[in-house]
Amino acid sequence: MNSAVERSHNELVEPRIPSRPEWVALARLAAATVANRLRFSIEEIEDVKLAVAEACTAVIQHEGHGEFIDLTCEALSDLLRIRVRDSGRHGVARAQAPNMNFDEARIAGLGVFLIRTLMDEVSYDVSPQGTDLVMLKRLTGVTDH
Amino acid sequence: MQEREQARRDRERTRALFERFIERRERYSQHNQTADSQYERLRDELAVVHLNLVRFLAVRFANRGEPLDDLVQVGTVGLLKAIDRFDLQRGVEFTTYATPTIVGEIKRYFRDKGWAVKVPRRLQELNLAVNRASDKLSISLGRSPTVTELAEHLRAGEDEILEAQELGQAYNLLSLDSEISGETDKKSQTLADTVGIADAGLELLEDRANLERAFRVLTGRERVIIYLRFYESVSQTEIAKRLNVSQMHVSRLQAKALDKLRAVLAE
Repeated sequence: MNSAVERSHNELVEPRIPSRPEWVALARLAAATVANRLRFSIEEIEDVKLAVAEACTAVIQHEGHGEFIDLTCEALSDLLRIRVRDSGRHGVARAQAPNMNFDEARIAGLGVFLIRTLMDEVSYDVSPQGTDLVMLKRLTGVTDH
Repeated sequence: MQEREQARRDRERTRALFERFIERRERYSQHNQTADSQYERLRDELAVVHLNLVRFLAVRFANRGEPLDDLVQVGTVGLLKAIDRFDLQRGVEFTTYATPTIVGEIKRYFRDKGWAVKVPRRLQELNLAVNRASDKLSISLGRSPTVTELAEHLRAGEDEILEAQELGQAYNLLSLDSEISGETDKKSQTLADTVGIADAGLELLEDRANLERAFRVLTGRERVIIYLRFYESVSQTEIAKRLNVSQMHVSRLQAKALDKLRAVLAE
């Protein structure tokens, strides 16, 4: 009954959204829809949404971020791949290191810890070109929790 | 730069606290001694220093239908577990180490609460609430409300309103064409056959007065079926269960009742 949806093609959604908090909901929704196509459980979908929101927030809070966020949500055979990229930028990025002070300016760094907890694989790169974060979540097929 | 300096000092202070704490912790575990007040004090201090981390994480799970205070509480349990297990030799920041433990504790709490069932229900409820509020506000405002107005009215975030509207569909986990296993009926039916939706034929019945008149031609059972099906949007399968007859029978009775009504209304 809950077998994966028939997918003859890999599904790819690639919206470009303004780099502002009010657009994060759209990023969450795009990721949730693709995750749902892979038949992730409701809990996993919530986790994906949270991870995407954190990633977008990290980009938005990054000093000198660009005008847009390029989001890529891709359903591979048993894998969800999401990329969050800072784009349309000017100025020079400042490398950020996660640390122990929890004021607003550092929330982004903490968000990466959270993303690591929620997703299976996370790699990110902060360069003068901006934040570029790729996260993967595997379909386990086990929904016994 | 001042920020960074502050962060560095915080980090060093935490590290020093952990050094003293872990030294005591190991001494106790090796000698089977009970902890003294100094040990407890250090543990408490480490917990207090990291409560913001717990809060930071708990807030992010607060939209899943459990009170934030409860999440902070279970998250703190996770924090204490992490403090008790942390080792400076791991070469990772405590924050990195503690985050999965705290999140794990929060998620376990949701699971214990049967959360996987609750989330879709909560979305559906919000979805319904949005529809109701929308009707209500349309009347009071004399126009269709904005999302901002709906959000204020329902004390929810604008993004929540938008998500609730959309996700009602995104989380619709079954295709309408998927077959459902009929309990006794030999013929398999699809989900679409059983969903309670308005019938096009019923557009005839808009006029309530006409309808009441027309209803008189129906038998008691037909009336019950029409009422349940079109006023309560109950599925045929469910009606069949309530009347203790087969779904096929309900289907036949419904068709017959609608024919009768059409005939009366066409007069």
